[in-house]
Amino acid sequence: MKRSYSKFIALGSIAFLTLTYSCKKLLNKEPVGTLLPSVLANKAGVDGLLIGAYSMLDGYTTTGGTSWESSIDNWVYGGIASDDAYKGSNTTDQPTAVPLENHSVDASNEYLSEKWASCLNAIQRCNDVIREIPLVKDGSVSADYAKEVIAEARFLRGVYHFELAKMWRNVPYVDETITYSAGNYNVGNPGPIWDKIEADFTAAMADLPKTQPQAGRANYYAAEAFLAKALVFDHQYSTALPLLTDLITNGTTSQGAKYALGAYQDNFDAVKRNGPESVFACQMTANDGSGGQNSNEGDDLNFPAGTYTGCCGFYQPSYSLANSFKVDPVTGLPLLGTTSISVASFNSDNKTTSTSTVNAPNYNLVNLANDHGLTATDPFTPPSDALDPRIDWTLGRRGIPYRDWGLCGGETWSRGDIVPYNPTKNVFNHKDIGSTVDNAAGWAQNQGTADNYNLIRFAAIYLWRAECYIDAGNFAAAEADVNVVRARMQNPAYWVHTYINNANPEGGFTNTPAANYKIGLYTGQFAANGKAYALEATIMEEKLEFGMEGHRFFDLQRQDAVYGGPAGASFMANTLNAYIKLDTRISNPVLNGSSFTAAKNELWPIPLNQIDIEAGKLKQNPGY
Amino acid sequence: MFKSLLLKGRTLCIIVLCALSSLVVTAQTRITGKVIGSDDKQPVIGATVKIKGTNVGVVTDVNGAFALNANNGDVLVISYIGYQAKSVTVTGASLGTIELAVTNSTLNEVVVTGYQTQLKKDISGSVATVNIADAKKIPATSSEQLLQGQAAGVTVINSGAPGAQSTVFVRGVNGFGNVNPLYVIDGVQATDMSSVNPNDIESISVLKDAGAAAIYGVAGGNGVIVVTTKKGKAGKASISYDGWYGTQRPLSGNVYNIMSPAQQAVMAFRANDSGTQVLYPDPSNKTNADNGTLTASNVIIPTYGYHGPAAPAGQTTFGAAGVTSDPAILQYYHFDAANPQNDFLVQKFATGQGTDWFHSVFTPAPEMQHTVTGSGGSDKSTYLFSLNYLNQQGTLLNNYEKRYQGRVNTVFSTANNHIRFGENGYVTYRENNGGYNGTQQQEGGPIAYIFREMPIIPVYDVQGNYGGGFDGPNGEPLGNGSNPFALLDRNATNNAHFVTVQGNIYGEVDFLKHFTARTSFGGNLYNQYWWQIGYNTYENFESHTSPNNSSENEQMSSNYNWTNTITYKQVFGKHNVQVFAGYEQRESHGRAFSAYGQGYFSLDPNYVQLQYGTPVTAPTSTIYQPTATESFFGRLDYTYNDRYILGATIRRDGFSIFYPGYQWGTFPSVSLAWRISQENFLKNVSWINDLKIRGSYGEAGNNNNIGGGNAYSTFGSGTGASYYGIGGGLNSITQGFYNSQIGNPKVTWETDKISNLGFDASLFNHLEITAEWYKKSISGLLFPLPLPATLGGATVPSVNVGDVQNTGLDISATYHAKVGNDFSFSIGANITTYKNKITSIPSPGYFDFGYSRDNDIVRNQIGHPIGEFFGYQTAGIYQNASQVSSLPGYSGAAPGSFIYKDVNGDGKITPDDRTWIGNPNPDFTYGVNLNASFKRFDFTMVLYGSHGNKDFNYVKYWTDFYSTFQGGKSLDMYNKAAIVSNGVVTNPSATLPAASFAQAMGSSTISSYYVESGAFLKCRVASVGYTFDPSVLKRVGIDKLHVYVQATNLFTITKYTGLDPELVPSLSNNGSGVNQSAAFGIDYGSYPNNQKQYILGVNLTF
Repeated sequence: MKRSYSKFIALGSIAFLTLTYSCKKLLNKEPVGTLLPSVLANKAGVDGLLIGAYSMLDGYTTTGGTSWESSIDNWVYGGIASDDAYKGSNTTDQPTAVPLENHSVDASNEYLSEKWASCLNAIQRCNDVIREIPLVKDGSVSADYAKEVIAEARFLRGVYHFELAKMWRNVPYVDETITYSAGNYNVGNPGPIWDKIEADFTAAMADLPKTQPQAGRANYYAAEAFLAKALVFDHQYSTALPLLTDLITNGTTSQGAKYALGAYQDNFDAVKRNGPESVFACQMTANDGSGGQNSNEGDDLNFPAGTYTGCCGFYQPSYSLANSFKVDPVTGLPLLGTTSISVASFNSDNKTTSTSTVNAPNYNLVNLANDHGLTATDPFTPPSDALDPRIDWTLGRRGIPYRDWGLCGGETWSRGDIVPYNPTKNVFNHKDIGSTVDNAAGWAQNQGTADNYNLIRFAAIYLWRAECYIDAGNFAAAEADVNVVRARMQNPAYWVHTYINNANPEGGFTNTPAANYKIGLYTGQFAANGKAYALEATIMEEKLEFGMEGHRFFDLQRQDAVYGGPAGASFMANTLNAYIKLDTRISNPVLNGSSFTAAKNELWPIPLNQIDIEAGKLKQNPGY
Repeated sequence: MFKSLLLKGRTLCIIVLCALSSLVVTAQTRITGKVIGSDDKQPVIGATVKIKGTNVGVVTDVNGAFALNANNGDVLVISYIGYQAKSVTVTGASLGTIELAVTNSTLNEVVVTGYQTQLKKDISGSVATVNIADAKKIPATSSEQLLQGQAAGVTVINSGAPGAQSTVFVRGVNGFGNVNPLYVIDGVQATDMSSVNPNDIESISVLKDAGAAAIYGVAGGNGVIVVTTKKGKAGKASISYDGWYGTQRPLSGNVYNIMSPAQQAVMAFRANDSGTQVLYPDPSNKTNADNGTLTASNVIIPTYGYHGPAAPAGQTTFGAAGVTSDPAILQYYHFDAANPQNDFLVQKFATGQGTDWFHSVFTPAPEMQHTVTGSGGSDKSTYLFSLNYLNQQGTLLNNYEKRYQGRVNTVFSTANNHIRFGENGYVTYRENNGGYNGTQQQEGGPIAYIFREMPIIPVYDVQGNYGGGFDGPNGEPLGNGSNPFALLDRNATNNAHFVTVQGNIYGEVDFLKHFTARTSFGGNLYNQYWWQIGYNTYENFESHTSPNNSSENEQMSSNYNWTNTITYKQVFGKHNVQVFAGYEQRESHGRAFSAYGQGYFSLDPNYVQLQYGTPVTAPTSTIYQPTATESFFGRLDYTYNDRYILGATIRRDGFSIFYPGYQWGTFPSVSLAWRISQENFLKNVSWINDLKIRGSYGEAGNNNNIGGGNAYSTFGSGTGASYYGIGGGLNSITQGFYNSQIGNPKVTWETDKISNLGFDASLFNHLEITAEWYKKSISGLLFPLPLPATLGGATVPSVNVGDVQNTGLDISATYHAKVGNDFSFSIGANITTYKNKITSIPSPGYFDFGYSRDNDIVRNQIGHPIGEFFGYQTAGIYQNASQVSSLPGYSGAAPGSFIYKDVNGDGKITPDDRTWIGNPNPDFTYGVNLNASFKRFDFTMVLYGSHGNKDFNYVKYWTDFYSTFQGGKSLDMYNKAAIVSNGVVTNPSATLPAASFAQAMGSSTISSYYVESGAFLKCRVASVGYTFDPSVLKRVGIDKLHVYVQATNLFTITKYTGLDPELVPSLSNNGSGVNQSAAFGIDYGSYPNNQKQYILGVNLTF
């Protein structure tokens, strides 16, 4: 017996030792489902990292927020925080967007931290491209190719820093030297970084080709346009002027098409994407296998509710925006100037009103007739006022064709019960729904569109040049540039027309304009009235041309004297405070009783969580 | 042929004769006897009968009888759990009936501890044993429910949903991440015990302190729950059946206290909500409201609601139909699930109290469980097999758990019992719907829609399709909820299937007299497959046009652990020494797959296969990070003179997730005990039967809260995250990459330093008490230290930063006594207290967590307990404008909104005024077990309670404020909301803000309004049973028959106004492992675990 179990012990020991030895490598388990940096050290890897940097253009978030908080079209920061639009929906839906609209925001707002994080996330993706190139040792990346790739990466890095700079002005500049292992990541924000942004665009221009094999890539002229835009924001008008002239004279899209002002509505049509007006656009795609994630997700919420889309009624155009399209019925020019009027505005209790005297823009003395307070069965006839034809591409109003969806239902389409207007520019054409709208199911059915967002479209080049001419005192040249933009809209082909058959809106349009459209050219008023008028007219033109495109807040900001703009002290505060008083003639629980604080609300507060994490390096903006 | 057989027979005879003669030569005699208990005079089955000083022994059979060969003069030691061991000297062939005296002490109980068994009296560490007999009185459907209230130091939070796992903490929540204890089931390390059949369990021990748990090293820091399953016993085969059948009854009444449709209509006018008033278009409503005479009895509610693009002639394309009482509208009804944009749907509104959504989905449900166990064996081998069937229909529609399980445990021995080998193993197949995947406790769960769906909405519309928020006037006056009945009704064909195979095989050999070597190879194979069909939710306003869809998911994983130990045991003189050393290795891996399709021609579950739909997104697969652990460990137990006890353990673990150089750690512990009652000065104190004081200190670890790639910087790609349509096409994208993870190699496990002091006492022959104090300091909590956004969007590495300290007391006591011959009883009680405190957390010293539609509910901050609620402190309601201007205010403050406390005294209410509004950690939890028997009747009651904990009743966000989404609203709002007239509150006793749709800050923001006492006392079980007279049963071949009736949750005493104060953590807050325990005690709409249940059960043994 003894012998037999000693055999067991011997056998057991051998088995034990063998297995133990063979398992020496037991603890070596590499990470799964990911790529180590060494795998990407080749041309395909570098190309992929660059695509990853482009893919952040749509504001896609990988940091836990939602895409509408970091949307590239800035519908929140550029739109609802300005006089373009309201947050919309039910008052308490997206409660953290409320203080962004009514200027009571504090530094802990999650929207802001998401926008901040999204931009910096994108910036580090650009830096990843630049950092990866020296690691490529297999000869697959030539020196010339490396330069071109770096140029694209620096272009994008400039674009993303620009987003930060317009929001917060005093922001960190993060280049490829900032890494976790270097431990230098607490980057401060001692002041504006326009020089660094301009340097990135200048470097990108040097190495970018004038045409690109793919429509989505930036070319030389895209870099030049962004450089000019940065200079305009930096108030260096004389440096920007020759660049803008070069763009107007020689500029082409990355596909080689000469820049031109074509059909206005094509800029908001997925099928007509990357047209001659598209200087640089974020490419949106639908039905691409991503479940809608590469669509214009940032605008997911911004559709009339209960129509072809079930949700969500955000980004509702304001009364002021609609009013601003009123024109002089004789000249077809906008109603510039202000009149002091007495206004009864709602208080924050949403029930009582206070009367005050407001310098109201002349277009805003009374609201354009609308269907506020009417039900669907109440009769309503759209107003016959003379209107700039861009109004009905910018907002949907009762009784006017809403793209090819049918006659707009006005307030019955807009969620919540404040506003008779609906957003339009980000909305798809119904006939193209199969190809331009993502079919992924969920609460946002039909709300992921392939509508590109034009970061810069050609019309802006003219209006910026007009600003430069005004700065140089050349008012006639400025007026000519503004007129180029207006003249385009005189073509009735670019107007909204009535349906052939209201019951079959996809059946096509008549040649009858849907409203009393009129748009005229300036005839020497710029020179006759001088700088203030010229500037007011140009800023108004930017408002009308780019309404609901997310620029308005930043345009007001850069014109304000507080950071060196030409439009005078408290320009932005005066504009928006008048807007709030006038737009709360009808109760608006978000805006009622709110106000914009000069020398504070022009910039957003630096996210508190970032100030905390950076342990003293990051300073808060003034007033917060 | 025949001849050869004959030859063989002859050889056989010779061998048998030789064997017999050898017996004669050694003069051994066949000794027989019968063992009975002194208490019930019944046979003791399975008692060990051993010849003293040898390893020779047998076990008594079902009649208590034994037979073995022994010499005259040998001493037989007869022992059995619960009885005092008895020595009998062999004097003849028959020893007759031997009576074992009941021990009044559990000190000689054999307790399973880490890798070994010990007598309770020799244990110096903190080991709580669960009285399985008591525990099993609760009809557990998931095994960890057995632990609730049964072991001091163990907190169990049950979900009421069928098949849902419970949350188990040993000595409280002690970190933000995964703080689940380690389970060791028949030597196999596991993450839960839910799939073990409760009837198969022989014992459960909980290793709480370092002295007991540090032997599990890096995995032992959260405590260890050691489970052993039953083995067969030598003797005649026995078959037993344990089964019960019962019914569970849903809560009754208006459980969420929801107001009627008429009351809700009145509120729309009170709130001046023109958007919702379109629901009630009768002009008299507006007139009465303006006059102040509108009441729930005169408000007029329309009969029909309708809406849809295919509207009657004369309406606009999108059919913004108003609502009238005109039945003529019925003729336009149009329903087309394939083209919902053409729908025109009509529903007849619910009247009176409205639709009782709760009872539309909660109905009485049957439950049953059956287990058949067969066991038996000889002195060379034993076997046990069991088959189990559970069918638990949830009271919630289409929620169920069905489980089929088979177990085989066998033991073989040879070489005179010096070599033993065997296996323990089971296979479980489960089907589950609903309880799986935590569909409750979140705002999108079916239970949440019970209160989020307005009661005016009917279950079905006029054509028998589901009613919902779509069929009203345009806009969404009917809210954005979902019809909960529709949601659950459509789940009928969804299903999740699970297969688990778990077990071990082992071999043991005794050698060189004092040594035993053991090897055990065990593991777990797991497969899960689930599919679900999603319907076009035409009844909802949002997603009215969503296409139908389906998804399928599979997940598999496997792990093994291979354990080798050598034990040395020797007694010399007064020294009792036991030493063992071991080597162990573990590995795990797994994968998952999921795919999705939409737009099916038909949703017939027999038809739907992914390829018949449109694949909107590419299928995804996931590789789980493979892990490996390699360990060396040893333990020394030394007892001197049965009085002074020393235990020491050391373990060295290597874990693959950490970077080389940070993989290996050493975990030591030492424990000391003094059986003071053995000392001469106490030996004569008659009321002290036994008294042991003990203390321990040591370290263990926790390696749960870290992802596989933590040490490495890695890149990934995702169609959404890094692909881009660079080519400019509408529908094409190009692959891109992004930095997905920042690596930090200098990261290692969490360290738990545990001190423990306690005593075990056995007093007055009737009372046993164990009390312990502990302090547990957890340092280096793995935490994804937030990095500045300047580093981009890659996942930040977890690093060892946070510290938490838990202190507490565990006390348990049992008193048992016998009155006369017929009545005996016992009372067991245990209490668990813990206080936890966060002692370190990275800058800024806190992090916020806990989902809500407003701010985070929880702030985890240095100096505070984990999970403490953080928000504004309400201080009444502004009564008038002068209060609004004189008291500290905020934007939007108005008469009728909440006054908040100005905590920092700066004269205004800002986020800085948020403060501590409630601690979800209980002061203590407790369990009481009452057992009594009178003649053949037995009576049992189990009570379980929790005291001092606060619950955050987030349900109120939906029901108590007008400003939140339209939905079911509470009667409290109707009766107690402020009514403001001309800027003055006219009902000063109001406790809720005035109904208004524009008061986010003044109403529904996170505040003390939501916080309620979560304390409760539940009568988990009360039962009465009867055991039939065995002598009568014998005649029909039955050994034992016990029948009982039992009621579960007979009463719940609580002040909590929600359904049930016992709240499992929400899936909404389990976003990642690192924050798994960072928020709890929040009610998002939980499955009640206090529903009454009545069962009839049988225990039968042949």
